[in-house]
Amino acid sequence: MTAQSISASARNKGGAVGSTFWSRAWENHAPGYLFLLPWFIGFFGLTIGPIITSLYLSFTHFDLLTAPRWAGLDNYIRMFTNDRNFVASMRVTMFFVIFSVPLKLAFALGVALLLNRGMRGLPLYRALFYLPSLLGASVAIAILWRQIFAGDGLVNQFLALFGIVGPSWISNPNYSLWTLIVLSIWQFGSPMIIFLAGLRSIPQDMYEAASLEGASKWRVFWKITLPMLTPVVFFNAIIQTIEGFKSFTPAFIISGGTGSPINSTLFYTLYLYNEAFSFFRMGYASALAWVLLAIVAVFTAFSFFTSKFWVHYDD
Amino acid sequence: MSMSLDRRQFLLGTTAVLGAAALSPAAALAQENRLRQLFWGGQARADRTNGVNALYTASSGNEVESSFLGWGDYWPKLATETAGGNSPDIVQMDYRFIVEYARRNAIAPLDEFVGSALNLSDFDADQLEGGKVDGKLYGVSLGANSVAQLVNLAAFAEAGVEPPNRDTTYDDIRAMGEAFKSKNIRGGMKVIADGSGSEPMLDNWLRQKGLALYTAEGKLGFTEAEAIEWFTMWSQMRADGICVDAETQALDTNGPLENTMVILGKAAMMPSNSNQLVAFQTLSQDDLTISSYPRIAPGVGGGHYRKPSMFFSVGGSSSNKEAAAAYLSFFVNDPEAGKVLGVERGIPCVSAVRDVVAPLLNAKDQIALNFVANLGDLLGALPPPPPAAAGEIDVSVLRVVSQEVAFGARTAEDAGKFFVTEAAAVLERAA
Repeated sequence: MTAQSISASARNKGGAVGSTFWSRAWENHAPGYLFLLPWFIGFFGLTIGPIITSLYLSFTHFDLLTAPRWAGLDNYIRMFTNDRNFVASMRVTMFFVIFSVPLKLAFALGVALLLNRGMRGLPLYRALFYLPSLLGASVAIAILWRQIFAGDGLVNQFLALFGIVGPSWISNPNYSLWTLIVLSIWQFGSPMIIFLAGLRSIPQDMYEAASLEGASKWRVFWKITLPMLTPVVFFNAIIQTIEGFKSFTPAFIISGGTGSPINSTLFYTLYLYNEAFSFFRMGYASALAWVLLAIVAVFTAFSFFTSKFWVHYDD
Repeated sequence: MSMSLDRRQFLLGTTAVLGAAALSPAAALAQENRLRQLFWGGQARADRTNGVNALYTASSGNEVESSFLGWGDYWPKLATETAGGNSPDIVQMDYRFIVEYARRNAIAPLDEFVGSALNLSDFDADQLEGGKVDGKLYGVSLGANSVAQLVNLAAFAEAGVEPPNRDTTYDDIRAMGEAFKSKNIRGGMKVIADGSGSEPMLDNWLRQKGLALYTAEGKLGFTEAEAIEWFTMWSQMRADGICVDAETQALDTNGPLENTMVILGKAAMMPSNSNQLVAFQTLSQDDLTISSYPRIAPGVGGGHYRKPSMFFSVGGSSSNKEAAAAYLSFFVNDPEAGKVLGVERGIPCVSAVRDVVAPLLNAKDQIALNFVANLGDLLGALPPPPPAAAGEIDVSVLRVVSQEVAFGARTAEDAGKFFVTEAAAVLERAA
């Protein structure tokens, strides 16, 4: 063997060491990755790809028909300095989130406490109460809501029994947003199920100890149930807040996509949709989407920060 | 039972799927005479269109693959397909968007086909003109229509009021409204819907004053003074109970026809279009008709115009432009096609087709045809296509401001000023 061939074989060997790691990794995990491939394609092609594209588009003017034109920070500057509708839609969305999330959680918790008292036919009630959550975001329910809260709708017919002449709730700017908040509260099913599971996991011996001490129900709720439930409350609050910011369908259907009357139901997502698909300002709409992401992230981060002071994990 | 699949079977299955996928583009290529068509409308329009497509396939051998969407979903879909370089061969186009699409080459000029594949020798001149952008033909009008007021004849009879006619003025409507108030029919039905947020009605009112909503240069064609006058007039009508109140008008979101004032039974008339009488009649138990928009004073006309209700255009990236042009020619000229289409898209623009269609029409369709044919002194010149931002001004400025006045959030004076500044800003931004 010549020196040259030795060094060549050493190189080959060195190469082999490196590739052994990869080939072993591949051999161990190849089937896994292969099975994940469809998901990877979807994840990179349909999720990551569009997200990155939208970030790029948010720095352009793009009307779909002609190529995007680079705009630098124009879209963001306009949004924060010179866009009344941005401010209006932000105000509507904040109002919606601030009122609908706590009310919905309180309602869900109330029903969960009721159902947790070991009544007969629990699975049936659970299913019934969960049903609105499945239907709530649907077009049919939004249309139904229009009928119920219209001037001569069900609500006013009921009020008329007591001699009260109700306004046309959905088409009056003072009440229209509240009808959407009520619709959101009505979809209390999914947080309720989670609360119910949380209530079930509170150790019974705590309640036994409390009853031996003669604690009132009210006191038991504030001192045992609620503190033990805080991780679940925290989880639900985060999820519902995000849902609240993303809420779109009901407002879109009830106001015919316009946010009427007087922009009182112009949700942020609705404004974003109109900018993108009614006025074909894809760049500006992308910028709006990224700002929404930032806002939701800040809210979530803030919740996590404050959770240290009120969420109890039993460890 | 458990299902197991060994590796060979799995591979076999996968190969079969991939093979099928690989074959399908080839299958599509084989059909190069197939035309793809996209339009907005409802089932009734689709049935008529498909009827014509069947006739066309029988006469030419070319197949038409047709799909339709509602107005709101149509434009995003068309824009997305156009952006992807995959526009349909035949697209339905609106007067509002034709300039934008033409200037961006999203639809193709048709002049090279006129006289050969596309026969327009008997086509109405004003309708032909309406499809031109910068002197070139980009759209073939599928029918003429005009703005019109939808009138509930039964309600007028109940109120004992003579229904409006072509001489009715805004002052006459006030008088009718007083009569409606004193009769108090159907739980307080008003004579007219609140038209302050209706872009066509404002345009019609301005045109009677010799002005326009937009100039040919795409600027606002009126000033604060007119805008203030407009909002003031409607504020008074609202305050006096001539037109419906704010809350009621806001039920109409410019979406489904079911939510409009006449169909909801809140008003006896409202602004609409001549070709929509048929659609509205199907939703109402009462006998409906159409009449012109009110005159601003006796003897003043020129507010109306015969608008191309919609066009067919040929997609800019279509690989089959000539066949598409031939389809358009068949669609507007063929008498049998005309019989299938009726006046659903507007009054046919070829007189020979009109003659064939007219005797077959039902009473309501006849009303629409006669209305558009006999506008007389109400008729003015066709305005230039509106600027690209007109839709945004309509949706997010005019309608919002009109509601602000109606609900008392702005005075008419303030609203007039705000509307002009805001609309100018929107035009500026879009330019």
